[in-house]
Amino acid sequence: MNAERLANVAALLVMPFVLTGVIIRVKALWAGRRGPPLLQPAWDALRLLRKTPVYSDVSTPVFRAAPWVLLLTSAGSALVTPLLGTTPVFSFGFDFVVLAYAWGLGRVALMLAALDTGSAFEGMGAAREATFATLVEPALFLVVGALGLFSHTSSLHEALALKVTGGASALAWASAVVALVVVLQAETARLPVDDPTTHLELTMVHEVMVLDHSGPDLAAIQVGNALKLTVGTAAVATLLNPLAGEGTLASALLTLALSLGVAVVLGTVESLIARFKLRTVPQYLAVAIAAGVLALLAATWRTGGLR
Amino acid sequence: MTLFLAAFPVLLVGAGAAALLQSNRAAFVVSLGSQAVATALVLAAVAPLLAGAAPLELSWHWPPPIERVSLQLDGLGAFFLAWSLPMTLLGTLYAWTYLQPFFDKGRRGGWHFALLALTSVSFVIVYSVQNAMVFLLGWETAAVAAWLLVIYDYRNQKIRFAGFNYLVSTHVGLFVLVAAFMLMHSATGSMEFRDFGAFLAKPSPTRSTVWMLLGVSFALKSAFFPFHTWLPRAHSAAPAHVSALMSGVIHKAGLFGFLRFTLLMGQPEEWMGWTVLVFGALSALFGVLSTATQRDLKRLLGYSSTENVGIAAMGFGLGLLGWTWNAPALSLAGFGGGVLHLFNHALFKCLLFYAAGAVYRATHTVDLERLGGLAKRLPRTASLFLVGAVAISALPPLNGFVSELLLYSGLLSGTAPRPDQNVLLVAAAAGLAFVGAVSALSMTRAFGVTFLGSTREPQLHVGDDAPGTMGWPMALHALGVVVAGVAPAAAMALVNGALRPFPMAGAVLEPLAPALWASRALAVGLVVVITWSWLKGRSARRSVTWGCGYTAPSPRLQYTGSSFVEQFARLFGAFIPALRREQLPTELLPQQPGSFATHHADPVERRMFEVLGQGEEYVTRSAGKVSEEPRFAFSAGLVALLLIALFLFGATR
Repeated sequence: MNAERLANVAALLVMPFVLTGVIIRVKALWAGRRGPPLLQPAWDALRLLRKTPVYSDVSTPVFRAAPWVLLLTSAGSALVTPLLGTTPVFSFGFDFVVLAYAWGLGRVALMLAALDTGSAFEGMGAAREATFATLVEPALFLVVGALGLFSHTSSLHEALALKVTGGASALAWASAVVALVVVLQAETARLPVDDPTTHLELTMVHEVMVLDHSGPDLAAIQVGNALKLTVGTAAVATLLNPLAGEGTLASALLTLALSLGVAVVLGTVESLIARFKLRTVPQYLAVAIAAGVLALLAATWRTGGLR
Repeated sequence: MTLFLAAFPVLLVGAGAAALLQSNRAAFVVSLGSQAVATALVLAAVAPLLAGAAPLELSWHWPPPIERVSLQLDGLGAFFLAWSLPMTLLGTLYAWTYLQPFFDKGRRGGWHFALLALTSVSFVIVYSVQNAMVFLLGWETAAVAAWLLVIYDYRNQKIRFAGFNYLVSTHVGLFVLVAAFMLMHSATGSMEFRDFGAFLAKPSPTRSTVWMLLGVSFALKSAFFPFHTWLPRAHSAAPAHVSALMSGVIHKAGLFGFLRFTLLMGQPEEWMGWTVLVFGALSALFGVLSTATQRDLKRLLGYSSTENVGIAAMGFGLGLLGWTWNAPALSLAGFGGGVLHLFNHALFKCLLFYAAGAVYRATHTVDLERLGGLAKRLPRTASLFLVGAVAISALPPLNGFVSELLLYSGLLSGTAPRPDQNVLLVAAAAGLAFVGAVSALSMTRAFGVTFLGSTREPQLHVGDDAPGTMGWPMALHALGVVVAGVAPAAAMALVNGALRPFPMAGAVLEPLAPALWASRALAVGLVVVITWSWLKGRSARRSVTWGCGYTAPSPRLQYTGSSFVEQFARLFGAFIPALRREQLPTELLPQQPGSFATHHADPVERRMFEVLGQGEEYVTRSAGKVSEEPRFAFSAGLVALLLIALFLFGATR
């Protein structure tokens, strides 16, 4: 049990940088370049930590606290996520409600920091982030709620370790994968919802919110987002992993491999398509909601009382 | 009981003296003093009840038409009394400094302070009495007192209209309530709640009618959608403490009435549970969508009342369902979550209205588009508003999160007898998640646009930060918000008192203990992180905001409240329609200056007036909207509906 926890903590420390590095590498390979070293994001964070931050005259203490609130909530959420496909560091009833709302807190902190600079661009990013979040949140609850009905559980890692036993659960499983991937893309500012590497502020969502952050604060935001990415990919990987919930070495390794696989898929998607128009993004997020509804409808097919 | 009864004359004498006294200060002191004494008396009387003592009962004869007055003080009434009176007391304290500018101009405040004491009198009556006639008396006292409190600044025609609107609406609710009481009176020949209870215990068509009438009346009192039309006007017109008390305290009487009659009825029917759940969810959705577009800070907070009573009602619906399904854990999560949420709402909504009042007092406006950057000028108000905003968005680690977590634990438990019922509950949980996210959007917008950035109107005069007696009520409510968030057992001790008369029993928060510990750990982390970043940042380097290459930014360039919500409002335009008034420049070199204005009116009120004013034309126009050749979207929608129906009915077999 303790070894499992330690392994989870180790994954929590390493995976954020590796996953970000993998996405960058995949994009570089698609573009015909070699790309930076795999652990470059970690060195970038270290370099930023040594710098002195500069704050805008307009800003208040809200601006200075926000990056660290984001980092705190993201790290906390990673503690209840099955990073290795099995029991996470902490697991309890309705842990995903805490996770979703902790993410909400981090998001609100970052949006307030954006408004705190008084910059029109950053306000724009905050408005978009808030709008998209209203669509992501119900999708997440629909999916995890439906999976919970199948697995008779209220904790995230048991809900994600769904065993496909028939038509209904297969339908729910497939819809859940679709919905979680869309949620992952929206929450971690990936294409096609948001382009993290674009050069035009007007078209950004997440990056434009953090224009004014510098030095250690920027590092905190980047690590926080990498942690969210880790949580999201681990959730999808656990769902994909047929051995999930077993707690064996094979299952843990398969989850890690699948997480990297999800990162490769994300990088490939980013290389092959452009960001959607901002007006079409809500429609894309509606796909996640529709998939969640489908998973839920599949749950009605199941008969018999639940625990 | 003697203690409790003593509060009544104390408050009446206080109100009378406050109305007669010439000096404003004396009237304030008398009103505040009588309320303080009454609060102490009532708290002494209800404390044993909340701890589990048997209900107190008393009954005596009275001349007709009342015949007999019975009082019964049980856990439910004790719970409502335990916070209603202290909060009204704090509101009175706040009023002293808030109304000071009026007093300086020679306005007499005696009546206002008397009415605040009278509001407490109505609580004492409504929350304890067991006779329908006397109940109506207390109900009406609260309504009329609230109306007179709203129109404090009656010289303003808009405020008189808002007050009149409220007066009419609340009396429509009163008539519906009277109708329900008359039906029960004709069935039982009595005006005693005990006899009503005997009648309500047996299912009958009349009982269903009575239940619906009661539901409508209580929904009107608590401003549920679609009976909320009076609310945004009244809340933006009233002085801040009156808005706070109406939204947080006075209109909780509607929810109390619902719980009181639920208890009298006993075992409900299943359709009642679903009705309340759906009705509550609709209210929460509509309320929260409307908060997103408001320009007036107090109107925004008013709509958020509709949202929060809706959330509480979702809990009640779940409680009723659990009761009919013999699932006590589900029922406890529902009623416990609902009751805790209405208490939490009283805490953070009063706090937010008081903070909005402090903004108004300092700047003489609550128009978001004119404000901005107030955090540096009003740091106390800003930080307290932020606490309230985080709490009302149900974010951890504050109190709104605890009550919503409790609701989620019921909705997502999967303990309903049939799978399709479970599925509907999960869908309701997803609805609640949506409400939470939109609430976070609205509150980020409200706080961010008002307090952060720089002032949009440079010539805006900003006065003192929560002067005089305005600071303490805010600070105490914020303390309550924090305590109820990190030590929910404290708030739960009150709520358990309210739940005691219900047949379900059990430790409500126990299954959630680890989740609550996680929330507490987050609280500790937040305190560390915020303190550390604050200390570290004081001596940091400063520069200008990065303008993306543009070097002459002005405060007018900032994102405004309406631009913040533009995309969202377009997405949900069907529920939050925007009215546009535009006169765009026409020629290549326009001679006339153009203008453009958008405005979000209440859709229900607008439709209501539309139907009242031009019903026939309206029907014709609506009929014309249905196209003769169904288009693709229409057919796709039909197919989706069919599929959903198929799934649901397939499962019920």
